[in-house]
This record gives sequence, C-alpha cells and structure tokens, in this order.
Amino acid sequence: MNRADYDVVVIGGGISGLMASLHLVQQGLKTALISRGDPICCLSTGCIDVYAGTRKPLKGLKGLPKEHPYNIVGEGGIKDALEFFIDIMDKTGLPYEGTTKKNRQILTPVGTYKTTCLVPGTMSHASPENDEYIHVISFKGIKDFYPSYITSKLKNTGYSVFDAHAVSTMAIASKFEEEAFLQEFISWLQDLFIPHGRVAIPAVLGISNPLDVIEKIKAAIDREVFEIPTLPPSIPGIRLYKTLKSTLLKKGGHLYWGRPISSVESQGGQVEAVTIQTSGRPTRVHGRSFILATGSFVSGGIYATRDSVKEMVFDLPVYVPGPRDDWFNPDFFDTGHAIETAGILTDQSFKAIESDYDNLFVCGSILAYCQIMKNHCGHGLAISTGVAAAEKCEEYLS
Amino acid sequence: MKFEHCVRCTICVENCPIFKMNPEYPGPKQAGPDAQRFRLDGEATIDEWVRLCSQCKRCEIACPYGVDVSEIILRAQLNYSREHSSPFASHLFANAYYVGILCSSFAPIVNRVVKWPVTQGVMNILGISTHLPFPEYRFLTLGRSRKRKGRGDKKVVFFYGCHLNFNRPDIGRKIRDLLVSLGCRVEMPPQTCCGLPALGNGDIEIARRFASKNAATLAEYIDKGYDVVYACTSCGLTLTHDYPGILELPEGKKIAENTYNVHEYILNLIEEGYADPEFGPVEKTIAYHIPCHLRALGIGYPASRLFEMIPGLECRILDDNCCGLSGSYGFKKKNRDTAVKLGKIAASAINETGAESFVSDCGACRMQLTEFSNMQALDPSEILVESMINSDSSSAAKKRSLL
Repeated sequence: MNRADYDVVVIGGGISGLMASLHLVQQGLKTALISRGDPICCLSTGCIDVYAGTRKPLKGLKGLPKEHPYNIVGEGGIKDALEFFIDIMDKTGLPYEGTTKKNRQILTPVGTYKTTCLVPGTMSHASPENDEYIHVISFKGIKDFYPSYITSKLKNTGYSVFDAHAVSTMAIASKFEEEAFLQEFISWLQDLFIPHGRVAIPAVLGISNPLDVIEKIKAAIDREVFEIPTLPPSIPGIRLYKTLKSTLLKKGGHLYWGRPISSVESQGGQVEAVTIQTSGRPTRVHGRSFILATGSFVSGGIYATRDSVKEMVFDLPVYVPGPRDDWFNPDFFDTGHAIETAGILTDQSFKAIESDYDNLFVCGSILAYCQIMKNHCGHGLAISTGVAAAEKCEEYLS
Repeated sequence: MKFEHCVRCTICVENCPIFKMNPEYPGPKQAGPDAQRFRLDGEATIDEWVRLCSQCKRCEIACPYGVDVSEIILRAQLNYSREHSSPFASHLFANAYYVGILCSSFAPIVNRVVKWPVTQGVMNILGISTHLPFPEYRFLTLGRSRKRKGRGDKKVVFFYGCHLNFNRPDIGRKIRDLLVSLGCRVEMPPQTCCGLPALGNGDIEIARRFASKNAATLAEYIDKGYDVVYACTSCGLTLTHDYPGILELPEGKKIAENTYNVHEYILNLIEEGYADPEFGPVEKTIAYHIPCHLRALGIGYPASRLFEMIPGLECRILDDNCCGLSGSYGFKKKNRDTAVKLGKIAASAINETGAESFVSDCGACRMQLTEFSNMQALDPSEILVESMINSDSSSAAKKRSLL
C-alpha cells in the first residue's frame, strides 16, 4: 500500500458520514471524507431523534418493519453508538443531554412540543414543566419567529422583543459572539424583571460557545434559560455539524469538500478509487474500502425519475415500493408515503444487496425502509447506522 | 449549475462571512440565485451591495445542490462595474501587478515611504485601508531570479503569482528548490498576474488581458510536456476554474487539466513512486489556516497529508474561518470593519490551538492573520523544507541546496 492511500473513503458529509469517519479515525484508520456540500443537518433542530412513536425510544423498535435499518444495528448497537456520540460531544463545547431510556420534549416556535431523545445543552430546560411560566424573547424583525404563536397556544406565557438591528438568525447569532452586544442584551433583559419561571430565546445565542452565553444570561437574571430551535438558517444544526467536523479534523480525518463525485474505478468486485469533479482535472481519491452515506432524496443520494429511483454515486440497485402509482398516499401531509421506504437494501454487514462491490458499505438515510418522517428517527438512525457500518468496515479491513 | 436549482435552504447564507458582519449585504442566497431572476432580461443592475461579496466561494462550496452561487454573484458584479464607475482604489487593485513591478523596482524607497503617516493619509483618502502594514516589496523578485533549475524527467512550470514574486520571493525560491530536490526540472518563465485581482475589482477586460498572456506561455510549455504547478491557491483557482470558465480562454481547458497545487503535485510524485522523500522530524505544533480558495479548489488539503508524514509535527487544521482580507477586498476602506472583525475571529481560532506558529498557503491570509494573532506565519512548503533538511539521510549537498 502506498503511504498516500486511505484505509477508508467515506462519501457524504452528513451526520452519518461524520460519525462513521469519527469511529474509523478513533480506530487509527486513515480516513477521508468527501462531501459535495454542507449537509442537510445544518437545517435541522440539532436534536437527536431516535424514535418518537413511544415514550421509551428503544421500546418502539419492535413495531418497525424487519427491514428497518435499526433492526440491523440492534438495540445494543444503537445504545453504543449514541453513547459514542454523547462522549464525543462531551469533549467539545457542545455537550448533549438525555438518554436512550426515555424521550423528552422541547418547545417549538409554534408553541407545540416536539418529541426527541438527545438535545444540545442549550435546550436542557425546554421540556414542559407543570405549566410553569415561560417568558419568550424575540428579536425585532427576526424572520419566521412569532412569539405570539407560542403565547396564544400555551397558557402562562408572555413575551418581549429586543432590537438586535439584524433580522436573520445567522446575523443575530454572530452578534452574540461579541461581548458588548451580549452585555447590552443582558442589561435589557434585567430591566424586564421577569419574576418567575423560565426564559425562552430563539436559538441564536452565539455560534461557537452558546453554553457560555446561556450561563452569563442565567447568572444575570437568575432564571433558567433555553433555546427554541428556529427555521433555517438553524444555528443548533450548524453547531452540531461544525462541532463534529472540527472534531474529525482534530483527530486526523481528511476532508474533500464542495465537489461531487464524477466517476468510480473498480476492479474484481472492489471499488478502488473515486474521482472528484474538481476544476479542470478530476481529483482521484484511492482507498481500501468505501462507505456510502450520501443521504436520501433531499440530500441527493438517490434521485427519482418518472418511474425509477437511481443511486447517484455507484449506481447501486435501489429498492422501490412498486410502480409509481403506489408511491404516494392521497393525502399529501401523510408521513407514511410508500416512497419514503425507497433506498438501498443491505445485508447484516451493511453491504448493499446485489451490489458488485465487496468493499463498499452503506449507512444513513439512503438505507431502505428508514421512513424518517414517519418514525422521527433522523439523526439517531444516522448515528447508529454510521457507527455500525464503520464497525463492519473495520472488521473487513482487519 | 443554474440558479433554478436553488431550493432556498440557506446553507450558503450560513457560510457567508460577509453576511455575518455587514448588515448591508443581503447574503449569497439573495445576491445570487434570488436576485438572478430579475437580472435575466438585460436590465441595468442597481444593487450596489453586490460589490460587498468578497468572492471567498464559501457559499458555492457549501451548496449541497451544486448551484454556482459565487459565480452568479461575480457575473453580477462585473455587470454592475460595467454600468457604473468604480472607485479609484478598485482600478489600482485591478492593476496590482503593475503596482508590484513599480514598487519592487524601487523597493527600499517604497517600503519606507508607505510607512509615513502622510502616505497613509493619502491612501486613506484614496479609499485604501491602512489597518495592516503594507506588504514589503523585494527588489530581487522571482522574475529576476534564476529561470531554470534541476534536471529530471518531471518537467514543471512554476506559476508563482504576484505575492511570492514581489513580496516573498524567498518562499518562491524555496518551493522551486523543493521541487528540484524531488527530481523535477523547474522552469519559471516570464509571467504576469493571474487576473484574479482584476476580476475581483470588476474589470474582466484587464483580467482577460493578463490571463491571455499567461495562457499563451503556459499552453506552450504544456505542449512540450510540462506540468503547471502553483503555490498560491487563489492563482490556482483562477488558472483551473476561471481560465476555462468566465474568462473563456481557448487554452483554458488544456491549462486546467494540466495544473496542480504544489502539494498535490508532490503527493502525486510520492503516489506514483517517482519520488520517495525522507521527512525528518519537526518537533512543533502548528495551526493550519485553510485559505477559502484552497477549499474551493475541491482537492482536499494536500499539504496536511504531507504533514502527516513528518515525525513530531502536530497540525491542527482550521477551515471554518475566512481571514477577511480576500486579496484586495479588506484593503478597501469601505470593507475595513468587516475585514478586521473576520480577521480577529480567524486569529483567535489560531491562538486557541496553542500552536507555536501557523501555516497557510495564501499570502493574503498570512499577512492578515500574522497581524491579528501576533504569531509567525509560514507557507506549508517551508515546513516541508525544514523537515527534509532535518532528515538523517539527506546529504550535505542536498541540504545545502534547500537552505
């Protein structure tokens, strides 16, 4: 083996690809991560949904179809993977809270509660607590955040509006990185004299060190403070992605960012290299094994034509739920559309069924039968299949 | 890809350094794909804010749907500049190459005069920010250095770019000697500015004039079996992306296909088995500030792969921050505040690593971040040279040639 080659090349920079890569670098394997852009997780709430159908997330797995990727990982595997995730995050400025034993709920911008499993520390006080008073803070002109949605829906709530002289969540979050702005905000907050209960603020409390910001606010007003995830740009989603990415870099992972894969080289049932479509001349990335984590339709891992579904990098066979007429339910807002089951079927070692490649493993939402919208299992599935596929890949290499 | 592919997910906005700092700039989504639908029917461009984009390309790299966000904005900038007059500073920066020739010829005088308060006052009046010490010019430029060195089967044209040529020819010579020590025959033919400063300052005609000159020279060498190697990542992006792209040069495709980042090239030499350099220990912790345009090249971070082969070297990669200078962008007074704020953020990320010094491939990043981090800035190749000098097996003669 050439000293410039990789042990593993992971394709797809979302949560699943990042977690797979993190597991591999931890095992001392030389790992490259290729992504054609920033992942969809940047648009997410940053919370880790495992399974929202039951109070205890792992209890619900029995009700899932046997082909569901969770059933390949198994209960123990899911627990281990999520613990690995919590461990990683604990060593950063963005620790996560919660256990796989019990789901929890967090307040949303429309005054409802969303069921999830692990939450960033900034949302640790976002669960409903005996109708305790919640004071919502909003920002003048902030896009897509209307505190009256919350106050009209939930009893015992009120709100105030601060003028941050910026309207997008990203721009406000950047301002919270400046101490002077934070102090101005805190003194405004102190003048509100919020007498009891908790304070809820849209998730804009800084980008890199939100817990420090919360700590300072909490100390000044002596109230618990938590963030409410917003519509994109979603700062908790960006924090999660950036934290995982920089941890990977820190541990020695290599990144190829921003360009799609243009071709695949294979020989005798082995993927040998992929080429990235860089300006002018393609860049060849050579590896001993490969992990595919390019995501489902939204992320562009699979693509639907009128009558078929195509996997975009290796042209793997894709499971499709019957002819197009069967893909959709009559009600658009249903979450159980059959097409949500489309994806790659794998064996117990996360190798695609009927695939030509022996050294290719598949993980994340590109897997068949995920039905993420229906099961609310997005990041949990990404993490557990990412780590599990990486383990199988590691076994293969040894 | 076209603006129609934009699904308005705002990931580009999340990555825009200017949008975070300057409320006047509406961000890449609006400046790019959103506004593009109103630019279709040849109407005059009225949005002056389009000039606030620094062309760092972070939006384009981040876009998961492959929309050429920054290219859409660049074209709008060029249209705007065609229809409106540009400030004096923009004309000056577009012609930075000629400024470089003039300043390096009178280097000892120029380097002193730019420090005078009166000169700085005049520069401020002309719209030039003086928050950074102006880069010092050198008389013995690469253009005035030895044109040909080494013999070997690998024939290389070194496109060194204006910064190394006029300001840091010492680094340029190190890179030349590094390639020679790996068995390359290195040529440094006469060359001009790559054209990027002119593009960034709204003058595509000047850009094309510079680029055509280089293209003719480089294509001639490529036909003779040479590979083109660049060290400046912004020059590299212009050669590989803009020559065949927006500048529409007939030789563009050929140049793009045969042009390599210097560390990518060295890695290839190692992968092919052509070179097998022995890297000696460098007991150091360095922070590696990845320039935006290295990210934009999409080739990964090849220098960091070479660093892994150096015993004792700890490298912390930082690729989330733009240094804020973006070539001439931060030297314009109207962009000064944005540039300073971004520079401080990027510098504090470097400081937080606890490294002894930092490396970056881009001369502008090095200038800006040395100022704000108070740390020594190195080119990645300088680390490689240091390591090769430290290796046991390298002969005294070889060491001398690298020193």
